[in-house]
Amino acid sequence: MFEPFTDVVPSFFGWLNQGPLTLTIFLHTVIILPMIWIYFQEKKRLENEN
Amino acid sequence: MANKSVWSDNRFWKRTATWVTGFASILLIWLTFDTSTQIAMGNDQDLQNKVTKRVPGPTVINYKITYEMSPKRGHEVPIIGGNDGKGNSLFQEKEKFFGRDDYSEKEARALLHLGKLGSQAKNCMDCHTLLGNGAYYAPDLTKAWLDPAWGPNGAMQALTGKNTKEEAMAEFLQHPDQYPTHARMMPNLGITAKEAKGLVAFLKHMSSIDTNGFPRNFGKIKGAVHGK
Amino acid sequence: MASKYLTGTGSESKQLATWYFTFAAILFGAQLLFGLVAAIQYVMPGFLYEILDFSIARMLHINALVVWMVFAMFGSVYWLLPDETGIETIGIKIGKLLFWIFAAAIVVVVLVFLFVQVGKADATTIWLITEGREYIEAPRWADWGIVVVALGFVGNLFLTGMKGRQTGIVTVLMADMIAFAGLYLAGMFFTDNISVDQYWWWWVIHLWVEATWEVFVGAIAAYGLIKMIGAHRQVVEMWLWIEVAMLFGSGILGLGHHYFWIGTPEYWWEIGALFSALEPLPLVAMFVHVLYDWGKTQGSEEEKGNTHSVINNKPAFTWFVLNAFGNFLGAGVWGFFHTLPQINLYTHGTQFTSAHGHLAFFGAYATILIGMFYIAVQGTNGIKVMKNTKASIWAVSLITGGMMGMTVALTIAGYVQVIVSRAQMGATWAAYFDGQSGMWFTQAMDWRLIMGILIFTGFIILAKDLLTTGKNPVHER
Repeated sequence: MFEPFTDVVPSFFGWLNQGPLTLTIFLHTVIILPMIWIYFQEKKRLENEN
Repeated sequence: MANKSVWSDNRFWKRTATWVTGFASILLIWLTFDTSTQIAMGNDQDLQNKVTKRVPGPTVINYKITYEMSPKRGHEVPIIGGNDGKGNSLFQEKEKFFGRDDYSEKEARALLHLGKLGSQAKNCMDCHTLLGNGAYYAPDLTKAWLDPAWGPNGAMQALTGKNTKEEAMAEFLQHPDQYPTHARMMPNLGITAKEAKGLVAFLKHMSSIDTNGFPRNFGKIKGAVHGK
Repeated sequence: MASKYLTGTGSESKQLATWYFTFAAILFGAQLLFGLVAAIQYVMPGFLYEILDFSIARMLHINALVVWMVFAMFGSVYWLLPDETGIETIGIKIGKLLFWIFAAAIVVVVLVFLFVQVGKADATTIWLITEGREYIEAPRWADWGIVVVALGFVGNLFLTGMKGRQTGIVTVLMADMIAFAGLYLAGMFFTDNISVDQYWWWWVIHLWVEATWEVFVGAIAAYGLIKMIGAHRQVVEMWLWIEVAMLFGSGILGLGHHYFWIGTPEYWWEIGALFSALEPLPLVAMFVHVLYDWGKTQGSEEEKGNTHSVINNKPAFTWFVLNAFGNFLGAGVWGFFHTLPQINLYTHGTQFTSAHGHLAFFGAYATILIGMFYIAVQGTNGIKVMKNTKASIWAVSLITGGMMGMTVALTIAGYVQVIVSRAQMGATWAAYFDGQSGMWFTQAMDWRLIMGILIFTGFIILAKDLLTTGKNPVHER
């Protein structure tokens, strides 16, 4: 499942870099996911305002 | 008023923008710490202990440097002091640099310092590219030290009347207008003999930096059309 | 001093803005002139050899570029602040003093670049002559001057923004300008380690032009839409926040596309590739946004039975629309061409980058800042509806047409370099010159020069138009 590490120095980000997409999908996910929480918070706020 | 959608609400987008910007910045800072430790310059101890660094210590100028395929990495890497046959450096084979291969850490660091200062003071980057960055009016210098043109079979040693790569390079740097290689000529920038030595040390050191295989196939291909 | 018709009416902040715009326009001319010198040198290598070498001409070309844009950006903020906040800008006296310090420092730096050019390999050169790092060659003393000036500017912006009405546009500008000024500090140190050097150098260059400057353009475009076609502020500001999220979300980590080959770890391939691949998206959004708002505002006017155009400043709006498209084409499409590492391995450090650089700086920044020049001309002359003149149409056509032609020429030159020098010959000294001697390359350079002359002609007409159109009786007052 896990690819052998190829870069010179092992590191957390290097380890996440398992193929052409793993690292960037991880980073995009952690950036985008909390927006869901912001969305529902704002939705609640808008409902309360009405 | 009818229920307003969150998607058309300014506050939602403002908070999203703040979050995305802030978190991307934090990630960048985290990555910067990680990268900084990886690209910190090594030292003589590392070379003695055969530790491969992305940016080796200045005493790498005492060693023979080549640029060879690493099956593990999938591209070419700088090989310092001989290849173990699997694309790893052996840190054994030395190479004389201006007649010596025993520069101390201090001497080598001073040479590199002078060369790096010189590269900025003479504005190399506004004609050449270094690590691929700069202007495109003159050749890339990333692996210039390994360029066959300066080697024993290249034209430049004969042209400058010198017997070694480093002396030929230093001579050229001091009097580039005397050795035209193309209609487009390097101007005389008042580089002194001492500065030239520093600059060549800087170039040799730069060729030992692990650039993830850039430039690909450097010096390997003679060319089909212009084959010699 | 600025001549009579270049002084602002009523607002000191707007008057200061016109000073910034005037100096910016002069530097823009200087940028084009030195660009022409460098372009001639590609065609005739002996031109000004050892008098004004390519390195010097090119350094002046790109530094004049950066500085005129910074001047025009400062000017734009001073121009819009009274409109947005509803109050006169605070600290305008200091602002004016800083303008003269900034302008004087720039003149000294340019004279030193021109007449001293290079120095000995020591720290004195770095402090007094040049730092020799592309785009930020200004010597260290000037760096500190720039920091002081930028702090003063940001201070004025913050004081005014916090006292007056804090619109979304002002809020974005406040956050953006402090990042813009702060990032400059990342380029103010010396290191022997060229990988570390270039790592931080990109923090300045990339996080300026692919993050903070882009957000600045978003804010200016929002201001322009409200000002020129009366777009609805709430809609415009919502778009602005979306753009900020997308620009910073892709642009900050998109920095990774500069870290493929400078000694930095392999994981940057992935981060740089995917984040920077998303960078064109907000540029598409901006393009859609400008055209959509235009059509929407015009449509709702027509519904009311009004047939006249909603645009109250035709030349400025022309440049703003060109900005929306040019930003997408130059920064977005031409950037995406070579942002993936498997392509960049061969295009990095070729005329490909140059093609992208020219169209991106022009499309994303030059256009909108020229648009701001026209807004200032309209404002200082009390014009209600400003129309296109023959000169303004000639200027925009020559400059834009020349720029597109130049980009195509440089792209073709880049192809030759990639194929011959890189892929086929293996990137050596000999490979480099084999590529440079190719027919496609040399012809491309001829075309580039011709296009450069077109652009310069366009600039002369533009300057004439900016100086005279304010008094032209065709405009509605």
